[in-house]
Amino acid sequence: MTGVPDPRRAQTFRFVRCGYADGVAELVYAFDDGPELTERVRFPDPPPLDGERRRAFDAALRLLHLVAGVSYYKAGIPAALEIENGVPDAAAAELLDALYLHGLAEFAYRNGVDLRGRIRFPRDVQSGTPAAPLLEGGEPASRTLVPIGGGKDSLVVVEALKAIGADATAVWVGASPLIAGVAARTGLPMLNLARELSPVLFEYNRAGAWNGHVPVTAINSATLTCAAVLYGFDAIAFANERSASAATLEYEGQQVNHQWSKGRDFEAVFAAYLRSHVAAGLDYFSLLRPFSELAVTRAFAKSGAAYFDSFSSCNRNFRISGPKPVDRWCGQCPKCHFVFLALAPFLPKPRLLKIFGRNLLDDETHAAGFDALIEYRDHKPFECVGEGAEARAALAARAARPEWREDALVARFREEIAPQLDGSALGLEPWLVPSGEHQVPARFSGALDAIHGA
Amino acid sequence: MTASPSLLAPDAPWVVLKFGGTSVATVERWHTIRRLAAARREQGMRVLVVVSAVSGVTDALKALCTCASEAREGALASLVARHRELAAQMQLDRADEMERWLASLAALIFPLSPGEGGEPAPGEGAGIRQSLVDSGPPLKPTSRRESAYSWQAAVQAHGELLSSALGAAFLTANGLATRWLDAREALLARDLPFLNERARRLSAQVQADPDPAFAAALAARGEVFITQGFIARDAAGDTVLLGRGGSDTSAAYLGALLRATRVEIWTDVAGMFTADPREVPGARLLQHLDYEEAQEIATTGAKVLHPRCLSPCRRARVPLWIKDTRFPELAGTVIGLQPAEAVPSVKAISSRRGITLVSMETSGMWQQVGFLADVFALFKQHGLSVDLIGSAETNVTVSLDPGENLLDSDVVAALATDLARVCRVKVIAPCAAVTLVGRGMRSMLHRLSGVLAEFGRERVHLISQSSNNLNLTFVIDEGILDGLAPRLHELLIRAGALRTDDAGLFGPSWQALYGAGAAGARAPWWKAERARLLELAENLHSPSGRGEKRATPRYVYHLPTIRERARALRALWSVDRVYYAVKANPHPAILAALAEEGLGFECVSPGELAAVEAVRAAHGSPRLFTPNFAPRADYEAALLDRATPVPEADGSAPGPGSRVASAEPLPTLDALHPLHHWPEVFEGREVMLRVDLDRGVGHHDKVRTGGAASKFGLPMEQLDAFLGLAREHHVRIVGLHAHLGSGVLDASHWAQVCGQLAGIADRIGSVRYLDLGGGLGVPSHPGEAELDLAALDAALGEVRRTCPQYELWLEPGRWLVADAGVLLARVTQLKRKGALHYLGCDAGMHALIRPALYDAWHPIENLSRLGAPADTLYQVVGPICESGDVLGADRHLPESREGDVLVIAQAGAYGESMASHYNLRPLAESVVIE
Repeated sequence: MTGVPDPRRAQTFRFVRCGYADGVAELVYAFDDGPELTERVRFPDPPPLDGERRRAFDAALRLLHLVAGVSYYKAGIPAALEIENGVPDAAAAELLDALYLHGLAEFAYRNGVDLRGRIRFPRDVQSGTPAAPLLEGGEPASRTLVPIGGGKDSLVVVEALKAIGADATAVWVGASPLIAGVAARTGLPMLNLARELSPVLFEYNRAGAWNGHVPVTAINSATLTCAAVLYGFDAIAFANERSASAATLEYEGQQVNHQWSKGRDFEAVFAAYLRSHVAAGLDYFSLLRPFSELAVTRAFAKSGAAYFDSFSSCNRNFRISGPKPVDRWCGQCPKCHFVFLALAPFLPKPRLLKIFGRNLLDDETHAAGFDALIEYRDHKPFECVGEGAEARAALAARAARPEWREDALVARFREEIAPQLDGSALGLEPWLVPSGEHQVPARFSGALDAIHGA
Repeated sequence: MTASPSLLAPDAPWVVLKFGGTSVATVERWHTIRRLAAARREQGMRVLVVVSAVSGVTDALKALCTCASEAREGALASLVARHRELAAQMQLDRADEMERWLASLAALIFPLSPGEGGEPAPGEGAGIRQSLVDSGPPLKPTSRRESAYSWQAAVQAHGELLSSALGAAFLTANGLATRWLDAREALLARDLPFLNERARRLSAQVQADPDPAFAAALAARGEVFITQGFIARDAAGDTVLLGRGGSDTSAAYLGALLRATRVEIWTDVAGMFTADPREVPGARLLQHLDYEEAQEIATTGAKVLHPRCLSPCRRARVPLWIKDTRFPELAGTVIGLQPAEAVPSVKAISSRRGITLVSMETSGMWQQVGFLADVFALFKQHGLSVDLIGSAETNVTVSLDPGENLLDSDVVAALATDLARVCRVKVIAPCAAVTLVGRGMRSMLHRLSGVLAEFGRERVHLISQSSNNLNLTFVIDEGILDGLAPRLHELLIRAGALRTDDAGLFGPSWQALYGAGAAGARAPWWKAERARLLELAENLHSPSGRGEKRATPRYVYHLPTIRERARALRALWSVDRVYYAVKANPHPAILAALAEEGLGFECVSPGELAAVEAVRAAHGSPRLFTPNFAPRADYEAALLDRATPVPEADGSAPGPGSRVASAEPLPTLDALHPLHHWPEVFEGREVMLRVDLDRGVGHHDKVRTGGAASKFGLPMEQLDAFLGLAREHHVRIVGLHAHLGSGVLDASHWAQVCGQLAGIADRIGSVRYLDLGGGLGVPSHPGEAELDLAALDAALGEVRRTCPQYELWLEPGRWLVADAGVLLARVTQLKRKGALHYLGCDAGMHALIRPALYDAWHPIENLSRLGAPADTLYQVVGPICESGDVLGADRHLPESREGDVLVIAQAGAYGESMASHYNLRPLAESVVIE
C-alpha cells in the first residue's frame, strides 16, 4: 500500500550528496534508483563561515553525512555502498567500516543477519589528506560543548565542568521537553539542534525495512562536531563511562555491544580523525571514561541534588517531563532498574524512594529485570547500563544494610543468589577507583578530580 | 460613612474577626474589613479585628533578621516604602502610629549601642535610623538584654504592629471609631518547662481561658478594636511569637478570652472541603463540623486552618466560622459543638505524602514487658517522632512524618541499624496516608465495602482507627495516590457514606464556586426539550394494536448534542482520527450522524461491522475491527470475505494518504494465539497491535482494561515473540493501541500512554498510528469537572511534537453519546418501608443495567414535576425481580405519584446497547430527535 519498494531487495546504498546553507545541513541518500532520502540538521542562529573554519566545517559535514547514513543504510543493508560526492580516504573508510559493523552489531543480532564481510566502504588510498586546519580560539578562551541527555551522566559532567569554572554550553539534539527542562536547570547557556529524519525512511519502514538499534552516539558526535566548528567550540565533552566499552554479549564469535559508539575504541578513532581531518585543536573525549557506573552515580548523588526532581534516565518515558516520578520513570525498563540500584548505596533510602516514587527493590514483579542486571540466569539487557559485577556489588551493599535487607528482592538476593557468588568479588570500593585509561585533555584534569572527590 | 450608632450595652456580645495578609494589603480589602466590622457593630456586637502583617512582610522581616548586615539598610528601606505607599493609598494623611512602629523597627535593626549575636555595629544604618527615629514621635526604650531569638521576635512582631496601626487609623478615618489594642496586653504566653529557648520565643503557647474581668475592662474602653495576630508577651513582658498559623491562633485565643459569640476567620476560600479541591474539583463545602472533626481534617491535610487554633475555641465553646472575603454571603464552614441529631457521615478525605513506615518484626515482643518502651526509646534517641501505629502479636509498624532530615541524613539507616539488634526491621517508603474523617466512623464501616475494595487491590501497609471514632487511616504506597482521591470521593458518595445529599451539611462544590465552569454548568438539553419528552412519554404507541401502554421505558437521543461532541474532538490539533466505539450505541441514526461528522468506526464483532455496513452514510468511513478472544471465524468474516482494498478514485493503488482502505477494517490483535495458530488469516495484511502497558485506571474494577488482571492487551514481555511471528508471516504492524479504562477525567494520563506507545513504536519501525483508545470521562455527579479537552490537546501535542511521524487516534464511545441520551420511565408504585421511600418505575436493570453492573450514577429527575421542591428522599427502583434493580439510591425528588414521567439522564451510552429481555420484559424502544 505504500509507494516505495521493499528496501531489503535493494542492491546499493548511495551517499548522494550533502550541503549546508543558512544553518541547515542536508544529507541525501538513496537505495538504488529509489527516492532520495534527505535528512536535515538545523543549527539555530548560525554565524557566518569563512576561510579555515569553512574548510573545517566542510570536513565535519562530510563526516556527518557518512556517519548519519547508518540510519538509512540499515533499512536495506544492501551489498554495495556508493559514495557519489567524493570517495573518503583510508582513515575515514576504516572508521566507517568499524562503525557500521560494530554499531549495527545489536541490530544484526536481533534481526538474525550477519554483516561481517558485507560492509566495506570504498576508499581512495592514493591521494594524501591535507592537514586539518588549526582554528583560532582555543586556550585560554576554551569553550566546551556538553551534550545533555536528561540522565545523570551528562549532569555529572556539567557539575564537574562548573566546578572548574569551565565555559560550557549544554547542547542536545531533537525536541524533548524532559531534556530541555533538565538543560535549563544546569544554568548553562543552551544550544538545541534539530534533526529531521527523512520521511521517506518511514515509508521504507512500512514497506518492510529492517529496523533496529543504530549507533546514535556516533551520529550525535558527528552532529556536535559540525556545531563545534560552526559556533567556535574547541572541546566536546561526552559522558560515557568505562562500562560502555564492555560487550553486552558474544554472538557467533562477534562481540555485541549495545553502546559500542559510547565505547573507548570509537572515542579514540573518532577523536584522532577529528584532529587529523577536521580541526587540529578540537578535543573530543568522554570525561567519565575513567569511572565505573557506580563511581559516576556516587558523584551524581553528591553533586546532582538540584536535578533529583527533574532528571530521568528512563528510556520508555523520555518524551514526558512531569513533576511526578511516574511521569519520568516507568519503573519497568532496565535503565530504571539500574539507576535505582546504582544510586541506592549513595543516597538515604527515603530520598531515593522519593526520586522514583516507589521502591523497585521491594516489588517481586521486578525480579527478572534485576536478575538481568546482575547477569543471574540471563544476559545483560540491551541498554546503556553498568556491568553485571557492578550491579552485583551494589545489590550486595544493600543486602548488608538493615534499612534495605528485608526488601523483597534484596532478601531474595541475600538468601538465594549471594550464597552462589564469590563474596570477595562483591565489594563496592574497587568500583570507586578511577582508572588511568582515558583521553581527557590535561586542561580538564581538575574536572576528573571533581568527579572522583565529589 | 456610617452614622455613629447608639452606645452598646456593657455586656454586649463580642465577635472576633480575623483577616490574613492579603486581606490587609490593599485599600479595597480594607474597605471590606470596614464593612464587615461595621455590620457586626450594627448588629449590636462589640468587635475585635485581628490582623496579620501585610502579605510578604513577615517573610521580609525574617530575611531582615538573617541577612548580611550590609543588606539590612536596603531591606528596611523597602519595608518602609511598602507601608508608606499603602498608607498613601488608604489616604491616611497622618499615619503617626505606623511611623512610630517603623521608627521602633529601625531602632531594633540599627541599635545605638553595640549589640550581641551578629547585630550591626554602631554607625551602620545611621542614615535611615536617623530619618525614622528622629522624625517620629518619641520612642519607648527598647529592651535589648535578651537573646537573638528575643530580638528576632521583637523584629518580626512589627509586621502586625504596623498593619494594625494602619487599620486603626483607616477604620477611624472612615467613620468606624476603632481603638488600637496591643495584643501583648491580652495574651500571656505559658512558661512550659519542656520548651527550648527557640520555641519559647518563636512558637509560644498561650493559656486562653475566658476572662470576664478582662472582657469587661476592655468593653469599658470602646466598641470596635483592632489588634495583632501572631504576637503575645511572656512573663517578663517581652514580645514572643505564636509560630505558624499564628494569627488564626491569636484570634482563637482572643475569642476564648472574651468568650465571644464566635470567631470569624476571613480568608480566600469558603471553608473546609470534603477533599483537597486541587485534586477533587467536585469536593463539597463542609457547612458544619464539630471541633474534633475540624481538628482531624486540619491535622491530616487541609491547609485552610491551622489545627492549633481549634482547641482554645473548643475549650471555651466559642464557634469558629471560616468565611471567604470574596463571597461574604456564603455560609462558609461553621465549627462548633456536635449537633444533637447528626446523621453519621464521612466528612472528608485527606491525604499526606512522603510518609516512611518502619515495620518491626519479632517473636520476642509477645508478652515481653518493656519491649515497646525500648523500641520507642530508639526513635526518641534519633530524634524521630512517631505518628501512626499498627501492631500485631509479632509486628509493630509505625509511621514517620516527612522531613528534610529524613530525606537527606542517614537517620533512617542509623535507626534501622539500632533496631536490627532487637528485631527484624523493614523500611517501607514512600507511603501516603489517606484518612477518612467523620464522627461515628465505626457505624459507617458496613457502607465502606466499595472503598475497601478500592484499597484492596493495592498494598495497604497499615490501617489505623482511633478510639475517638473520628477517623480511619490507610497507609498505602505513595505511587497509587495519584487520582485516588477523586475515585474515593465518588465511591464514598455512591456508597452513601459521604452523604452529599444532606444539603444542610454539604454546601456547593469547589468547582461550582471557583472552577472554570463556575459561571454555571450548561443546563442539559433535555430540560429545554421537556414538553417534547413528555409528549413522547405520553404517546400511546401500540405496536400490538391492542392499545397497550408502551411509550415507556423509552430511550430518546438528541443528535445535535452528539454532533457537537464529535466536532469538539475533530477540532483537536493533536488527534488525527477519531473512531467511534460502536458498542456504546449502535443506533443507525447515531452512526449516520457520526459518519457525516467524519468519524471512523471501531467495531468489536461481525454484528457491529454489519451495523456500520448497513448505514449508507458510513460507507466510506474507516473501520477498525477490535474483537477480544473472538473465534477465528470472526476475523475471516471481517477480512477474507471482503474484497481487496478499494483503489483510489483515480484507479491508482491506495497511497499512504488514504491510510486505511475504506472497505476493509483494520484488525487489532492482542494475543500471540491468532498469529501462532491461524497466520494464514493475516498473511500479508496490516494489523494493529493492542498492548498492555501494565497500568489500569478508571472508575470501576469492571471498566479498567489495563494490568495483568485484565484480559485485554498483549503483555510487554511477549512483544518480541509477537514481532517474530509477524515477521515470519509477513504481517505488518501499522499501529499500536492501548486502552486503559473508562471514565478517565485526567488529561495528562493520555500523554503518558502516548509517550510509552511511541517508545515501543520506535522499536517496531513499521508503525504509523498510535491509538490511545477511549476512556474519556463524562462527569456525572453534580460539581464534577468536565474533561478539559484543551488540556488534553496540549498534553498530547507536547508528546506529538517529539514524534511527528505517528498519527494519533482516539476511540471514544461514551464521551460522544452518553449525554445525548435519556431514558424515559413512568412511575409505577410507591412504597414506604421503614425509613425508606421506594419509588418504582417501569425502567429497570433490563433497560439500563449500568447502575447495577458498575454502580454507575445517573441523574434522575421527575420530568412531570420539574422545578418542584425536591424534598423527598427516594430509592428509585425498577420492576425486575432482583434486589440489585436500583436505578438511583437516596435521590432527592419532588413527592411523586403513579404515572409521573421520570427522566434518567446520561443514558445514551451503554444503555440501550446493553439492554436485555430479562424477566421477559420487552426491550425499551428508542427515538431520535433533532
